Amino acid sequence: MFNKRLTAKAVPLTVVLGSAILISSSAFARSNLYADFPITLKDYSGSATTSVSYKGQMARHALESSLKKLISKGDMSAMQSYYSGDDANRAIIAPATKGDFVIKQSTIGELSNKNLSGKTYKGLVPGWVGSMTGPEVVAFMFEKAAESEGGYDAAHAMDYTQLVSKFLMGAVTYNQAVDNYLDEKLEADNKPNNKPYKDGAAYTGKEHVWDEAFGYFGAPAHTLTISAQDVYNIAKQKDATVADWNYDGKVDLYNEMAFGHAYYASSFDKGGKTTYLHDIVGAYMDGRDLITAANGSALSDSERDELKGYAQTIKTNWEKVIAEAVFKYAGSTYKDMIKIEAILESGGDVSKEWRTYSKHWGELKGFALALQVAGKDMGATSVKLNRLIGYSPLLLGNTQVTGIDSSGEYVQSDAETWGGYMVHMLKVQNLMVDEFGVVARSNDQTAGLSDLVNSLGAKSSAEND
Amino acid sequence: MTDFFANFLNPEKRLFVGYLISAAFIAVIWLKIAQKKPLIEIVSGFFNYNVWFSKSAIADYKLMIFNQFFLKLLAPILIGQLALTVFIFENMHLLFSRPSSSIPVWMVMLIFTSVLFILDDFSRYLLHRLMHRIPLLWRFHKAHHSATNLTPLTVLRTHPIEAVLFSLRAVIVHSLCLGVCFFFFAGSVSLIEIFGSSVFVVIFHSIGSNLRHSHVNLSYWNWLEKILISPAQHQLHHSISPKHYDCNFGAVFAIWDNIGRSCIVSEKNQVIKFGLKNQSDNAHKLKNLIIGS
Repeated sequence: MFNKRLTAKAVPLTVVLGSAILISSSAFARSNLYADFPITLKDYSGSATTSVSYKGQMARHALESSLKKLISKGDMSAMQSYYSGDDANRAIIAPATKGDFVIKQSTIGELSNKNLSGKTYKGLVPGWVGSMTGPEVVAFMFEKAAESEGGYDAAHAMDYTQLVSKFLMGAVTYNQAVDNYLDEKLEADNKPNNKPYKDGAAYTGKEHVWDEAFGYFGAPAHTLTISAQDVYNIAKQKDATVADWNYDGKVDLYNEMAFGHAYYASSFDKGGKTTYLHDIVGAYMDGRDLITAANGSALSDSERDELKGYAQTIKTNWEKVIAEAVFKYAGSTYKDMIKIEAILESGGDVSKEWRTYSKHWGELKGFALALQVAGKDMGATSVKLNRLIGYSPLLLGNTQVTGIDSSGEYVQSDAETWGGYMVHMLKVQNLMVDEFGVVARSNDQTAGLSDLVNSLGAKSSAEND
Repeated sequence: MTDFFANFLNPEKRLFVGYLISAAFIAVIWLKIAQKKPLIEIVSGFFNYNVWFSKSAIADYKLMIFNQFFLKLLAPILIGQLALTVFIFENMHLLFSRPSSSIPVWMVMLIFTSVLFILDDFSRYLLHRLMHRIPLLWRFHKAHHSATNLTPLTVLRTHPIEAVLFSLRAVIVHSLCLGVCFFFFAGSVSLIEIFGSSVFVVIFHSIGSNLRHSHVNLSYWNWLEKILISPAQHQLHHSISPKHYDCNFGAVFAIWDNIGRSCIVSEKNQVIKFGLKNQSDNAHKLKNLIIGS
């Protein structure tokens, strides 16, 4: 009936068009909300209505942010309770209800009774004094915080609130996600998709692996439906209506709040130069859609390859978010040093600026340590970063902490000049650009210099005199 | 070829068509009023076949075209400029305190534009002086001095090695200026520009810089010629006469020559023969310009 030549053309055309429709429909099929994914586990007979569950991760975010508040009080037993305790009634100190930003949970147990110590990176932490493991670094910092006033040691310019907070974000949440769930747990024989994660669970192995990794990032479940600015406002507790996507009048710390590195991603993305937050959450969503579509069957090799592709997108962007933070605080530290130097030269009192300098350096150091606990060898980059930043900021008299003695006291030695350490901060910024390709570049201290060189710089010319 | 035409269309270049027109305009006024020459003689002088198609001028054109291709090879020197600027900026931290208070942007622009112009001019003078005084460098620079007719295009009669040195000089001066000024004034640093070029450069070129390489002996008052180099003074620099050897190395300011005791003021109605002593016509061959005779 059909002309053969026409059929010969029509068949491939149909295949192409059909594929295009399939591809585009699968692209459009990305879910918007990281919630309510159905139960796909064969033979599940429990009462759960969804396979999504990552309350333990959000409990750890709440523990981290509460711990941050406790460090500044210097109460050792409280710090230890939130780090390694098991009391379900531990109050969520932060984020707490603020005005009409009403937080649904008030105790850790309402999320999930967890702690942080069991999930802290066990490897050696390069860049911190004394060749310590992750938990040893935390214990050391707790001790120092308890000894100092309000978690701040002015003599060594150490702000333990910032150091612990930023380090734990790396050593617990980032490490768990990228070095565990998005790594070996994606292999075929590790938590397979055709079996429950554990006996009686409503979710498959891979569903839960993926959900836990998502939880550690700290983004609200509806991130893809709102802007980076919105997520930032949620983290800052400025806008409860944007957070409360289920309209129950309360912000649920489980899946409506922004924590940790998701908050930092939003803070960079709101500048408009980057899209880390949505790229990461988009990859999480694509991965979760893929697992859900497998409908309780084991993932094929090609499906796992695709899933690993999404995992790689997450890892790369997450690493960049931390590198952006290192870049930003290297710039802040540099600016603080200009102010301190000017005040010192005019004979003024620098105690206020010294406090800010310590805070910013603590953030810089905390993020720099976090960058190095992803379970991968950063090689020379790690060495450069740690040598540039050192074990403490540059102290008055141009000394720096270079180690600890047998009783754990800091040892100081002569170090750089003031200007020399400022150059270190510039080199840290360069390193983040060269090695991680950061784009947002907050507090860029050489911003405009390359544009100036390009526009005003010399041009080759044979013009004689 | 776009680079070739850019020489005439880019206000950063001395041969920009606007500067050529302004130079012609200034020449007409000078020759008519100061030298009382008839207009017809002035205009026909501008289009003198014997000048524009002399062996010397044709050699200018050949070298000019040759250099267009050669300059492409200099790109790596320019790429190194950012690294050098950053290096200078960073090392400033070891010598000075970075100022925390800011001064008005207009003042930063004025300082930067002036410093760049002055440093640029001084470095030109210095390199030019070295090109004459160091025998090895003179071997390259004499390609420029072998011109027996001067036209504005003679500005591009440059040995390729000399072009490399000019580019290196520019890179060093620009990097130094940008690195130091960025250290003191950060993001406020920018140039006061007209048509995308430094205002001082535009002024210098607009008031007849092209007449330096011409037969129009526009001179200033002697006192002014000790501050600014006049076209007539630069023509003395090209003179074949031994009494004018190694004088007036400056581009804009004569102050440097004054300090270096190499400033010679022009003479009224001076008549100068251009070129090198005992040079043959073979000196205008491209091969000899580049390799030497």
